[in-house]
Amino acid sequence: MKFAFCILHFALLIPPSLRGRRRYIVFELMSEREIDKKSLLKEIWDSVYSLYGDAGASESRIWLIEYDGGVGILRCAHDKVEEVRAVLACIHSVNEARVGIKVIGISGTIKGANRLRR
Amino acid sequence: MPNFFDLNVHAYPETDVPVEELLSVAKRYGFAGIAMTNHDDTMSENLVSNSIFRGVEIRANSSSELKRKIKLHRGKVSLLAVHGGNAKINRAALEDSRVDILAHPCGEKGEGEGELNHVLVRYAAKNGVAIDFNLNAIIHSRRGDRARILLKMRENLKLVRKYKAPMILTSNARSIYDLRAPREMIALASLFGMRKEEATSALSDIPRGVIEKRWKKEKEVEII
Repeated sequence: MKFAFCILHFALLIPPSLRGRRRYIVFELMSEREIDKKSLLKEIWDSVYSLYGDAGASESRIWLIEYDGGVGILRCAHDKVEEVRAVLACIHSVNEARVGIKVIGISGTIKGANRLRR
Repeated sequence: MPNFFDLNVHAYPETDVPVEELLSVAKRYGFAGIAMTNHDDTMSENLVSNSIFRGVEIRANSSSELKRKIKLHRGKVSLLAVHGGNAKINRAALEDSRVDILAHPCGEKGEGEGELNHVLVRYAAKNGVAIDFNLNAIIHSRRGDRARILLKMRENLKLVRKYKAPMILTSNARSIYDLRAPREMIALASLFGMRKEEATSALSDIPRGVIEKRWKKEKEVEII
């Protein structure tokens, strides 16, 4: 029982030293209309696939942590920051509304990213 | 941080965005100045700030029409850009030392049949005509079109490096949503193989040199 728990625990929570290194990109989105998180995420993935293909998309490990209608935090692999920056720069419209994305800053932790959001 | 410039934006009356709005967004993005280069049929007279350089993008169908228009606008504006894309126009623009910038030599959306070659880029270096890499084309295209544009830009970059012609990165913005921050433009330029240092100088030092006419032999044109 204890052994099974250990395996389960290991699968759920990889030790920090074995987790991939990440960067948190804080970005600002300027748009004609209000954009919701779901359609922004779809557009980001479209842009990644279009620019780097499936293999590149899997390497970049993109994850939209949060987005509140103006500023958002995007997680990615630590060595793919410049690629993700190009991906964000390539987004020109979401749901037919024109948008422009600017990266405010990059941080190694969510805490630091939240500090940049101010 | 260096002073960044975007030398190709289109504002009212050509587009519906006032130039002040473009400038305020560009400043927030980290640019020191922009150059308003409306096409020659939609020029604007009043400019409010000295961070905006006055320019014109000449559109012509033949080399004689281009020569006539250059003569007309020369001395009145601080930047003379030529709307490239056509093989004949590209050649006429690069052969003329009065021209400052050849904008999008492969067409605004990469559709033009005009391509640069070793002869033309050598002229560009000799006459001090800056070759523009239009990032708007990369942003607004997808898949096959984008692959073709990136390929053309890669080829152009190879020639520009070889002959040391001045090159600039521009947004060709027609609205505030088309502008991109300098770091984003550098990341976009890396897609066609431009190194970070090259891209930084194509956004800061070389545009400054273009405004100052650093590569021109005679320097009688004043900066307005």
